Amino acid sequence: MTRGLLTTAVGSYPKPDYLLKARNQVARGKLDNKDLQELEKRATAHWIKVQEDLGMDVLVDGEMYRGDMVTYFSENMEGFAISGLVRSYGNRYYRKPIAVAPVGRSRPVSVEWWQYAQSLTDKPVKGMLTGPYTMADWSFNEYYPSREAFIIDLARSVHEEALDLERAGAEYIQIDEPAVSTRPDEMELAARALGIVTKGLRAFTITHVCYGDFASVFDQLIRLPVDMLDLEMANSNYELLKLLKGNSSDKYLSMGVVDVHNHVIETVDHVKRGIRLGLEVFPPERLYIDPDCGLKTRTDEEAIAKLQVTVTAVRETKKELGIE
Amino acid sequence: MIATVVGNYPKIGVDAQSPNLRSAISRFDSGQITEEELHRIEDEVTKGVIEEQLEAGLDMITDGQIRWEDGQTYFAGKIQGFRITGLIRYFDTNTYYRQPIAEERLQWQGPISLRDYRFAASISSKPVKAVITGPYTLAKLSKGPFYNDFKSLVMSLADILNQEAKALAQAGASVIQFDEPAILNNKGDFPLFQEAMNVLIRGVSSKTALYTYFGDISDLHPGFFELPVHILGLDFVVGTRNWAFLKDFPTDKELGLGIIDARNTKLETVEKIIEAIERASKHVSLNRLHINPSCGLEFLPRSNAYSKLVRMVEAAARAKELLS
Repeated sequence: MTRGLLTTAVGSYPKPDYLLKARNQVARGKLDNKDLQELEKRATAHWIKVQEDLGMDVLVDGEMYRGDMVTYFSENMEGFAISGLVRSYGNRYYRKPIAVAPVGRSRPVSVEWWQYAQSLTDKPVKGMLTGPYTMADWSFNEYYPSREAFIIDLARSVHEEALDLERAGAEYIQIDEPAVSTRPDEMELAARALGIVTKGLRAFTITHVCYGDFASVFDQLIRLPVDMLDLEMANSNYELLKLLKGNSSDKYLSMGVVDVHNHVIETVDHVKRGIRLGLEVFPPERLYIDPDCGLKTRTDEEAIAKLQVTVTAVRETKKELGIE
Repeated sequence: MIATVVGNYPKIGVDAQSPNLRSAISRFDSGQITEEELHRIEDEVTKGVIEEQLEAGLDMITDGQIRWEDGQTYFAGKIQGFRITGLIRYFDTNTYYRQPIAEERLQWQGPISLRDYRFAASISSKPVKAVITGPYTLAKLSKGPFYNDFKSLVMSLADILNQEAKALAQAGASVIQFDEPAILNNKGDFPLFQEAMNVLIRGVSSKTALYTYFGDISDLHPGFFELPVHILGLDFVVGTRNWAFLKDFPTDKELGLGIIDARNTKLETVEKIIEAIERASKHVSLNRLHINPSCGLEFLPRSNAYSKLVRMVEAAARAKELLS
């Protein structure tokens, strides 16, 4: 029997109320970091259990200890200062990193959290990194004379981090690059930086890319130096698959089948139709199934329901097609 | 020479004592304060932002667009026929806006920004520039399933925003600015853009400005300089190629010189700003120059935005002495 159609997730899950409250208290000096970390561990354990109970194949730690995917790494690196509040959208604000000196890593940033999450399960847990292009694009730069110099320096640091994750035992390493498709004229630079990150890695490498005009960068996208592309498909009605059709690449695809920006839970049939569309383009052994993006903006119930419908749709499809 | 801004200003103040819009909106969302109370806080924050711009020494200000969730929603939310939907990335920035969808014929139901303009004008000792998101950009960032083609959507919005501009002009707005960043990414649409501009400014008695940012006007030149407005605003930070076109800048128009980087915290030196003003003054006389940031300042934290304005005003004054 053919194997394949593994289920996974993109990265983040919603933070429980007690964690949001605790983070707030830490910000106001009413709780210390050690207590916060205990709560973050508790929340991580909750999400590992949710994923195991659902029967997912490749797990994520849910990013309970990260505020923002860029700020988290920069706060734990050298060379960055953190700005005052800037608005992301609506009433959402965040603090943006500022490169004020050469950026670099004095110690591993994410390895301990990966080890903790992996200690809770026998299923593989992905190591999750933010890519150099996105790190630079979502930071202010007061130090480097060019974006290129900034991005390449970051790529070296992210590569070191990936090596550390691999040494710790991570079989999957995902390098998120959501900013990569925003500027077609810098795609070549972004690809070069990603190549520095993945060079010599034995782990299975993934990059998650979202929100972009993929058509104009597709040729470069499909050649990014990773084993697997993770793309959102549900919220664009699987239009992207048309681009992927007939490509000769041997890449794996992780295909998003539920929209993370919508409260409505997709039906099993709807998701199954999406999976079938994916199978028209990719063989099951090179196709993974997941939500479009991180689920952190959904409620706990919505996130679990979206994972559940994903897993059920995959299970039924596998049964119908005789996939192991 | 006029020192001014392009549009929005960071909503969150540095001083913990000042009224906080972020917490006000979140209290409003959870039903703890009424809409009237929220509006009162918006007014207070607007007042603070106006005072800050005046303190920095600007000759012409905006109301800081404190009540704008984003440039699209603020107008589209009050145009009949639009429904406001999910989040979309705003150009190549790390900010998001809610996408308006024209589901029915669009109709102007009365002034949208007039009350806010009047409020700002009543408390400012310097002229207040009224800002309107232009019809082309508004259409490009929306979807228009009701309309058979993109052109009908653009022209319908040109007509609606023309009525808005006339209402502002009647209320005494001395300068009305239209923001049209989207034309720089869609240069093939320039004939349609020209047509929309003609409708947009018809019967508007105020001085009109057209501001573009996030790019340059290559391929639009020389038609761009012939557009029927009094002031043309260009971004010289992202759009460095714009320098090359200044030699042909028309003698009967004013130039919005976007030379302060509104997307990076790095503070420009006085010398660098003077140099840029001098460079522009070789082609456009000083009395026809508006010195301003490259785009709205909301990509920056408040303290950085203010520092940049102070620096800009200082450099503009020195340049005036040196070059007059």
